[in-house]
This record gives sequence, C-alpha cells and structure tokens, in this order.
Amino acid sequence: MGMTDAWLLPVLPAGAFAVLVLFGPYLPRRGDWLAIAAIFASFVLTFPIIADLTSALAEHGEEFVGAANSIPWLEVPGNLELRLGVHVDAITVVMLVVGSFVALMVQVYSLSYMRGDSRYGWYYAAMSLFAASMLALVLADNFLLLYFAWELVGLCSYLLIGHYSHLRSAAEAAKKAFITTRLGDVGLLIAIILLWRDTGTFGIQEVIAAAQAGEIRTEVLTASVVLLLLGAMGKSAQFPFHVWLPDAMEGPTPVSALIHAATMVVAGVYLVARTLPLFELVAGGPELVLAIGLFTAFLSAFLGLVMTDIKRVIAYSTINSLGLMFVALGVGAPAAAMLYLFTHAFFKALLFLGAGSVIHATERQDVNQLGGLWSKMPLTGVTFAVGAFSMAGLPFLAGFWAKDEILVGALENRVAFSFLLLSLPVTAMYMTRLFILTFLGQAREPEVAKHAHDAPLAMSVPLALLALLTLVTGLVVFDQVGRALGFPGGIGELIFLGEPEVFHFDTGVAAASSELVALGIIAGWFAWAVRPELPQRAAQAFRPIHAMLVNKYYLDDFYQAIIDRVVLAGSRVLAWFDRNVVNDTGVDGSALTTGFMGYLLKFQQTGKLPNYALAMVIGVVALALVAFTLKT
Amino acid sequence: MEAVAQQIPLEHFLVLSAILFSLGVYGVLTRRNAVLILMSVELMLNAASINMVAFAAYAAPERAVVIGIVFAVFIITVAAAEVGLALAIILRVFRNRGTANVDEVDQLKW
Amino acid sequence: MTVAQGIFYLIAALAVAGGLGVVLMRSTVYAALFLFLALLAVAGIYILLASEFLALVQVLIYGGAVTVLLLFALMLTRASDLPETMVGAQWPIAAFVSLLLMGLLIATVATSNWPGDADGQITRLFFNELGDALFRRWAVPFEIASLVLLVALVGAIILARQEEGE
Repeated sequence: MGMTDAWLLPVLPAGAFAVLVLFGPYLPRRGDWLAIAAIFASFVLTFPIIADLTSALAEHGEEFVGAANSIPWLEVPGNLELRLGVHVDAITVVMLVVGSFVALMVQVYSLSYMRGDSRYGWYYAAMSLFAASMLALVLADNFLLLYFAWELVGLCSYLLIGHYSHLRSAAEAAKKAFITTRLGDVGLLIAIILLWRDTGTFGIQEVIAAAQAGEIRTEVLTASVVLLLLGAMGKSAQFPFHVWLPDAMEGPTPVSALIHAATMVVAGVYLVARTLPLFELVAGGPELVLAIGLFTAFLSAFLGLVMTDIKRVIAYSTINSLGLMFVALGVGAPAAAMLYLFTHAFFKALLFLGAGSVIHATERQDVNQLGGLWSKMPLTGVTFAVGAFSMAGLPFLAGFWAKDEILVGALENRVAFSFLLLSLPVTAMYMTRLFILTFLGQAREPEVAKHAHDAPLAMSVPLALLALLTLVTGLVVFDQVGRALGFPGGIGELIFLGEPEVFHFDTGVAAASSELVALGIIAGWFAWAVRPELPQRAAQAFRPIHAMLVNKYYLDDFYQAIIDRVVLAGSRVLAWFDRNVVNDTGVDGSALTTGFMGYLLKFQQTGKLPNYALAMVIGVVALALVAFTLKT
Repeated sequence: MEAVAQQIPLEHFLVLSAILFSLGVYGVLTRRNAVLILMSVELMLNAASINMVAFAAYAAPERAVVIGIVFAVFIITVAAAEVGLALAIILRVFRNRGTANVDEVDQLKW
Repeated sequence: MTVAQGIFYLIAALAVAGGLGVVLMRSTVYAALFLFLALLAVAGIYILLASEFLALVQVLIYGGAVTVLLLFALMLTRASDLPETMVGAQWPIAAFVSLLLMGLLIATVATSNWPGDADGQITRLFFNELGDALFRRWAVPFEIASLVLLVALVGAIILARQEEGE
C-alpha cells in the first residue's frame, strides 16, 4: 500500500454508495454501518500513504514533486488522450487526512443525530458519495477528473442541503447553493478547456510545467487564472458568491459540519493552492486572490455580530476563515493556508457538531431562545468553547497557531496586515457572543432548557475527539513534535511543502494578535454577559449600520432584484416565445394539422368491404394501364 | 404426348379468359352477399385456369405441357380449400352478426 | 368456320352467359345455378384443349362439390330469403373499371406475339404421362397441396362448429 494505490481511497466509499443505493432498504439498519466501515477503511489507508510519502520525502528531499499513477481512459488517436489517475503529494495528504477523518466523525455523529429520519438510508448513501467525490477531487492528477469530482461534490452538497425536502426553505437553499456555485464552475470549466487548448493536456502538473516553460500565451493564461479563481470563489464562498453558504445551513447540521466547513468549501482553497504556480505567473494574480480573500474575511466578520441563528453565525465564521485562507494564498504562503485549512477543519467541524448537539437537545437554533445551557450540557459546552475560542484565535489553541502563520506571511503587505489585525477582535467578539448567548446567562426559554441534556455516546465521542485535536493540532508546527511522532523533518515539513525553516514564529506578531483577540473577547464578554442591554443600545444608535448588517449588506436583495429584473424578465420573453411560437404554433400546430388531415381522411374508411375492394382493383388496373403503356 | 390438329387460335382462349375474369371482378365489386362474392372469385380462378391450360397446350411440346396441367390441378386444389374455409368464415360472421351481407359488416372503421 | 371452331364459340358463349348470370342475377340461387353452367362450359373448354383429365376434375370438384357447398351456404345463411341488390352507387364505377380491365387484357392479347402454332396445333397429354409427372416429379408439391387442403378443412370445421352457449 503505497502512494500509487491511493485510488483505493475514493473507490471504497463509492462502492458503499453503490451498494446503499441499490440494496440499502434490504440491509440491516439501512446500511449505515457499511458507509461508516468504508470511510473508516479510507481513513486507515491514509496512514500507509503518509508513511510512504515521508520516506519518499526523506529520500528525495525537495526534488520530490509527488507520486502519480494513471490509466488511459479515453483515446482519440493522434488527438486526445484522457487519463484517469491519482497524484499524491504533501497537499493531497493533508486534504486526505482532513476529508476522511472529518467524514468519519460526522458519519458516526449522524448515527445518533439522524436517527429516525425518514430518509436515513439515502442520507448515508449521499454521505458516502460525497466522501468518495471529495477524496477523488483531492487525488485527481488531471483537471478533467478534478472537474468531475468538483461537480459531484456540488451535487452532493445540493442533495444534502435539500435533505429535508419537505421544507420549502431547504429546497430553495439547495437550489441557491447549486446555482451560485455553478456560476463559478462554468468559469472553471472554461479555464480547463482554455488550458487544454494551449497545452494539449489535462494533467495538472503538465499544465503547470508548460506554463512555467512559457508555452501558454499570456492572455490565455491570464484568462484561465481568473476563471479558475472564479470556480474556486464559487466553491469556497468568497465574495460575491458567499451568499449561498449561510442559506446552506438549512441542511442537517452534520452535513454543514462536513461539507460546509471542513471539506467541500475548502476545495476552492485546495484548487488555488494546487495551481498557485499559475497564479504567480500572471501579473496581479496573487494580489487578486489576496484582495478577494481580505474583502470576504473583513465583510463576513461583521455579519457574525448580528446574526441570531447559531448555525448562521458559524457559517459566517466559515466564510471569514475561507477569506483568511485566500489571503494566505494571496501573500504567497500556501503552507500557512494549508495549515489553517488543516486546523480549521477540526475546530469548525467541532463547532458545527456542538451546535448540532444543542439543536438536537433543544430543537431551537435561534440564540435568542437559548441560553443557560452550560450546566445542562457540560460536555457540549466545554467542547463548543474550545472550538469557539480556537476560531477566535485564543493562544495555544489550534486556530491561534494557524492564524499566526497567516499574519506572519502577510507581514510584508501593510494593508493586508492591518486589515487582518482589524478583523481579529471582531472575530473574537462574535465567537464570544455566540458562546455567551448559547450557554451562559439565564435560559430565555426555561421549559426548553430544563429538558436539555448532553448528547448520546455516538455524538459525544466525535465531539470529544475533535476537541482534543483542536487542542493539539496546532502543535504540529513544532519540528520537535513531528520528529517525536516519527516523521523525518516533522509533520510541519509535511504540511509546509518541504520548506525547511518550518515554523517562523514571530513573538511580536503573536503578542499583538493575542492582545487583539483578548480585547475582542473581553469586549464581547462585557457587551453580552455583563451589560446585556448594551448591544441593543448600540443597534439603536447606529440603526442604519445595524440594518445593513442584519440584511447582509443587502446583497441577497440585490441578487434577487437582478434575478427578478434581468433573468426572470428574459425568461418571460423566452417563455412567451416558447409557449406561443414553439409550442402553440410549432408543436401543437403541426399536431393539429395532422389531426385535421386525419379527421378528413377517416371518412375514407367506410368499413365496407366492397369499397376497399374497388380501391384495390382501381389500383391494379391503373398499374396495368401503366405497364401496358410502357410495353407498347 | 401427341400433336392434335386444332383450328382454334390461342388468342380465342385468352380473350374468353379475359372476359370471364373481368366478369368475376365486376361480381366481386358489386355483389352484397358474401357467398356470391365467393362465386365471382371462383369465376376469376377458372379464367386463370383456362389461361394456364391454353398456354400449356399451345406451348412448344415436351415438358411445358405437363407444367401447365399440373398448375391447373393445383389451382383447383387451392380453390377447393379456399371455398371450404371461406364458407366457414361466412357462417361464423352470419352467426355473430345475423347477416352475410358484406356492406352490413362495417365495424372496421373509425 | 370449322366444326371445332363452331363448338368453341358455342361453349364460349355458354361460359360468358354463365358468368353474366353469376354477377347479374337477382336471385342468389339462380346465380349459383348459372355458376354451375359456367363451370361446366369451362370443362368443355378443357376438352377442346385436349385435357380430358382436367375436364373430369372440373366437373367432379367444381360442378359437384363446390356448387353444392355454395348452395348449402346460401341455405344456411338464409341469403335466398333476401332480395340481392347492388351495393350503393358503386356499380357504375365497378362496371367501368371492369370494362377497362377487360379492354386492357384483350388489347394485351391482341398486341402480343404468342409462341407456338398460330393456326392451332396443340399438344395432347395422356393420363399416364400426367400421373407420372404428378406423382414423381411434382410429388412434394402435391403432398404439400394436400396438406394445405387438410389444414383448411380442419380449420373450416373448427370455425363453423357450433360452440356451447351460441
């Protein structure tokens, strides 16, 4: 079991999906054990791959660019050869660990959370398909397979957001998510085709090599990079495509934890990280990524302050985090981005699962109806706090180390750096607010709070495991830890793409960020725990700003207006044309003509045998006449 | 096989056959009763038989003669089978619909 | 005009008269009797063509079996009770088409170049030669024909059988 056998990872859950779809209803427990066994096997199989990778790294050092294994898929002799294959390197392995582990945790968690759901079996089938597509996405060695998996994860996202399909809001949210990301996906597809046209290959490494050798025309490369970025922005919910992610919270909470926090939404980050050499070849490419990331992170941070739905707050924090990852990519620190992705997957999945536990216990998800749950649900409270403060960036939790890396990477860019610093207290503040409103203070609905209790085992174990990881994963930045675990050069080197000076901890930056985070937490504490009337007064005082935030910068309304005025108006014209010209005149018209002719002709069918015989004889005589005329 | 002197030209037989055939066609087209239509069909079959036998007799000697006669025998055989079957069908129709007139059996339409 | 020709015209006239009777007679029974006349005349034609065997077969099968069968059918369907009238307005068209067909056939006969002896030298076939041909050379088709006859008769019996409850 080496790196070249990595294709097995997506194949296992895909097989589980096939079995569940075909025979699910006949399996005991609808086959949930099969889905979990498949993803568990995939998770276990990542370890030999890591071992293989580390030994390869130790052997080849920095020259090692990854191991590939592919088979021919489709061939047009002389023109086109499509291959199907896997490519494993450090980035891939990070994504594999994250994807398979979080998927495993979420599926175990769902055993309890989704119990009694009418579409329980289908839920596990879709989860398996998602796991398979996500693993295929990160393993893909060519753009075509990547795009294929990219669309599949989008499809799974659609299916799972709309899991409660009897709710209109869920159906709408699923549609919104799918269409919004499709806008970016089209860009990705065009970019892939453009790159293929100039290089003749879909292989990611080949395309990058060709671009570095200058074989792609500058304007084509620029266009492809922009379009690639468009695809990444759609999937990773970057401004202006971010609107689908908060709505996606209509899905079951474990789905949000897996798809909309840990895996699918970071696919965009993964794509940009994977093709970063292309971005660096284009003038202004990294700067564009940086600007988008910064803008997204900054805007979403404020929205977290006013949202009242517990899942939506976490969703905005996810957008915030994704923005940070784009910033890291933009400043040329993919290592920091991957580290943040790695830690973020754990603490954000933890936050979502904690929120799921709260929702499961109280059946409420508006923070104004919660509160006072700390004593009722101690385990959920503690783990949620770990996740929230990790997100806030409190020192020595996973988020702190990762965020610090990004800050260090952005140090040279004054504007980006200052904006990042500015967003830190805001993030800390809304995470504090969320925690306080959910768990502390008086229960706003005592009846609900009284019956709340901690989650059953299937939900508690994933929570505890993820909380543990959130506490320790940040430590991988230390070389010593990695070596102690048996990785030559440390785990840091693995994640840091083989950079030797793995951990550039800057005490000054760390101190500044810690102070700002502490400031944010204290401010949040003061505003929502000590003087709860203060936020209302502030909202009164700055009414326009508050309204703007509550309405999400009016972006949704703006999009709705565009859809109504432009898309629907155009559609109505087309619908009119279709109804009147194509349907009524073309389709119905020809049918009516045929019907009318048939009506006229049916009277020829008298049913009387002599009439038919006469017609026959007339035909024969006419033929005889022709033959006779021709003969003479 | 022997040659027989015969003063009637071949065309005479052919014209007689044509007349009988046309009469049969007219009968098939105008008769109402299915049994009478069947009789007209017999007329047409006989006209065809006359053709066969005449050609056989006037054809160059040897084997063509045999073929013509054998053909006529087969025609008579098939005609007998046809009559038997057709009469059975007519009887069926008569029992089901109370009539043997073809213009009253006209369900085969719109 | 020789004697043979005279006999031919007489028999031909009888055949045509029989045919006319079949298609024109109002009474169905009379029409059947005219068919009998026409079939006998055709048997005479066969004799003129030196095919005595066929003439015998014609009289036996057509004159005997078929005509009797047709008369039985007329009786069973009570067709003779009803006056036989022509179908609607179709008869002028039918007459025109039939005449056209007849004209075409006669014209074809007249304009064609027929092989064989123009002044009427015919070949006569003896019974033993015909039997030889029928049961040696054409034995298989003969058997098939008898099979067809058998199947047709079995089918006819099944069709015409009175079933219970009818």
